[in-house]
Amino acid sequence: MYKLLLCWRYLRTRYLALVCIVSVMLGVATLIVVNSVMGGFSTKLKERLHGLLSDVVIEAADYQGFGDAAGKLAHIRRDPMLSEKIEAMTPTLEIFAMLQYRYNDVPMTRPVRLIGIDPVGRSQVGGFSEFLVHSENRAHPARAFDLDPEGQRRYEFNHRGQSLLFREPPPVLAPGEKPPPDPPPSEIHVPHGAIIGYAIAHYRKRNVHPEDPEKDLTMLRPGEDIILTTVSGQKLAPVFDRFVVTDYIKTEMSEYDSNYVYVPLEHLQKLRAMENRVTSIQIKLKDYQDAPQVVARLKEIFASDYYEVQTWEEKQGPLLAAIRVEKGILNILLFMIIAVAGFGILAIFSMIVVEKTRDIGILKALGASNGGIMKIFLGYGLLLGVVGALIGTGLGLVITENINEIEHLLAKLTGQDIFPRDVYYFDRIPTDVQPMNVLLINLGAVAIAVVFSVLPALRAALLHPVRALRYE
Amino acid sequence: MLSAINLHKTYRKHAVQVPVLRGLDLHVDPGEFLSIVGQSGSGKSTLLHLLGTLDRPDQGEIHLDLARIDNLPAGARDRLRNATFGYIFQFYHLLPELSTLENVLIPQMIGHSILGWMVKARGLRRRAEELLERVGLKHRIKHKPRELSGGEMQRAAIARALVNHPRILLADEPTGNLDEDTGREIVGLLHSLNRSEGLTIIMVTHNRDLAMETDRIVRLTAGRVEDPPELAPTPSISPACT
Repeated sequence: MYKLLLCWRYLRTRYLALVCIVSVMLGVATLIVVNSVMGGFSTKLKERLHGLLSDVVIEAADYQGFGDAAGKLAHIRRDPMLSEKIEAMTPTLEIFAMLQYRYNDVPMTRPVRLIGIDPVGRSQVGGFSEFLVHSENRAHPARAFDLDPEGQRRYEFNHRGQSLLFREPPPVLAPGEKPPPDPPPSEIHVPHGAIIGYAIAHYRKRNVHPEDPEKDLTMLRPGEDIILTTVSGQKLAPVFDRFVVTDYIKTEMSEYDSNYVYVPLEHLQKLRAMENRVTSIQIKLKDYQDAPQVVARLKEIFASDYYEVQTWEEKQGPLLAAIRVEKGILNILLFMIIAVAGFGILAIFSMIVVEKTRDIGILKALGASNGGIMKIFLGYGLLLGVVGALIGTGLGLVITENINEIEHLLAKLTGQDIFPRDVYYFDRIPTDVQPMNVLLINLGAVAIAVVFSVLPALRAALLHPVRALRYE
Repeated sequence: MLSAINLHKTYRKHAVQVPVLRGLDLHVDPGEFLSIVGQSGSGKSTLLHLLGTLDRPDQGEIHLDLARIDNLPAGARDRLRNATFGYIFQFYHLLPELSTLENVLIPQMIGHSILGWMVKARGLRRRAEELLERVGLKHRIKHKPRELSGGEMQRAAIARALVNHPRILLADEPTGNLDEDTGREIVGLLHSLNRSEGLTIIMVTHNRDLAMETDRIVRLTAGRVEDPPELAPTPSISPACT
C-alpha cells in the first residue's frame, strides 16, 4: 500500500518527473500520428492498387492471348468448387497502342495501354464503373461507350463543319424549274466509343501561389475523336481506327489514369484480327479469403506455362512489400525516439533516487523490504509511462484527426507547401487509426519506461539503510 | 530480553579500517528505560543500528528473547523492524511528501498487503489518530512535516514508531535537535510510555540531565561498555557523560 501511496505522491510532487511524462507523451503522440498517416497512405494506396485489378486474374503470357474465351469461362463455371466461390468473371484483351488527338490544332501522340472490355461484365467484376466520371455511366455501364447528348452535340458540331465545307453549291435554277429534291439527310457516322484515363485528357496546372486552387485543364472532351494505332496478327501489322471519347476513368492512381484506354472488346478483337481471343480473364470472388484455394484450383485447370494465375496482391507484390518495409523501418526509427525518452527517464530517476536516499533509509528502518523499495520506483516508472502514454495517445489522436487543418496552418506560417496535393492526387492527407497499433505503441512505451527505471530502482533497493539514513 | 554478546563492527573508509565496536556486551531487561552515552564516535548509534537489525555485526551475536536475530534472513529482519522495534531519530526523518497522519500510517502500510490494508484500514487509521492525539498532534493530522515545529515533528515520529505496537523503542538522540524545554517534554513523553505500557526504551543521548532520568545509563568508551552493565546508575557517572 505504501508503494502506491509513495508512487502517487512522487508523481504529484516531483516536477522533474513531468519531463519524463512529456518525453513519453511526445514519443507516443509522434508514433501514433506517423503510423496513422502511413496507415492511411497505405490503405488508400492499396485501395487504388486494387482499384482496376480484379481479385484474381488469369493472364496469357503474351499479347497474342488465348482462344475460346467463352469455352474457358464455361469450363470454370462447370467446376463445382470454383462456381461456388466465384461471383463474376469477364474476359479482357490488353495491348499497347499509340493515341493521337488534336489539341488547339496541334497533333498530340502518346503511348497508352489499350484494353478491350465488355463494360457490363467488367463492372460486375468490380473496379471499373465506380471510377467512371459521368454519373450516368456509373449507373448504367452498358451505355458507357455511347455518347451522352452533350458529347453527341459536340461530335456533330465538330463534324458538321466539315460536311458543310464539302457541300455542293446550290444549282442555279432556271425560272419555273423546280428545285431538285433535297438529298436524303446524311447521318453523321459516329465511331466506337473509348473511355480514356482522366490524366490523359487533363493537364494539371501548377499553382503560382500555394493558396490558389488547383486547376485541371481539359485537353480532350467527350465527343472529341481520337485515333488509336496498335498491331494486328502474327506479323504485328500496324492497324488503326478512329474512336470517340465518351467518358473518363479516374482512379486517382496516376499509373492507371495516365495510361489506360478502354474500348469495346469485340471491336478491338476485330481490329486486331483475333476474334474470340483474349489476353486475360478477370475474376471476382464472393469472399477474398478464398483466393488461395481458387488460385490453386485455377492453376490446376490452366496448368500450362502459358497461363499465369495471380491474385491482385501477388500482381502488386513488390509495391505492397515496399510499403510494408517503409512502415517497418519508420516504426523502428520512431521507437528509438522513445528509447531516447527512456534514457531521460533513467537519468531523471537516478537523480530522484539520490534525492530520496534518506527517505529510502527511513522506509527500510520502518521495515520496508528491498523488493518493496524496488517496486516503488518500478511502479513510479510504470505510472510515468502510463500517464505519458495516455496523454500522448490523446494528443496523437487529436493531431491525427486534425492533421489537414494543422498542415494548412503550418503551410500558412512557413509559406512552404508541406503536402503537395498533386504528388499523390489526394485532396486530403489520408489517415487510418488502427486500435491494435495504438495499443501496441502504448504497451511499448510503458514497457520502455519500466525497463529504464529498473536500474535506478535496483540502486535504490540495494542502498544500505544505515548509509542512506546518514546521507546528507 | 535483548542482549548483545561480544559485538564487533568495523567500518572501512577506502583502505583505512575504523573499528567502532570492539567486543561489546549488553543486556536489556523488559520494560527498562536505558540510556546510552559516550563521546562522538564511541559507537552509540552503531550499537543502536545493530540492536535494531538495520545493520549486521562483523562478529558477535544479538539475541531477542533468547533467539538469535542478527543472522536472520532479510525478510525476517524487515518484519522485526516493522513490528518489534520502533525507531526515532535526531532529525525526525518524516517523509516530506506525506501528511502527519500518513507518516504515522506508513509502518502499518508496510506491514500489510494492499488487500489486508483495505480490510483493516478503518481500525488502523483509528489507531494512528489515537496515537497522534496522545502525543498532542490531533490538530496537525493533515499538515505536512515542513509545516510542523521541531518538537511536533519528533512527537509525530514517536507516534509513527509506536503505531505497530513495538516492544522496544530505539531512540537515536531524540532531543539532539530540540531546545531544552521541548527535549524535556519529549523525554517526559517517553517516560510516560515506559511506565504506562511497559515499553522497553533504549535511548542514545548526549544530554546528561536527560540520561539521569532514565533507569540505567550505559557509557561507551572505545567500542565497549565502560561500566559493568549490572550496575545501577549513580550520579557520579553523569559528569563523565558530557
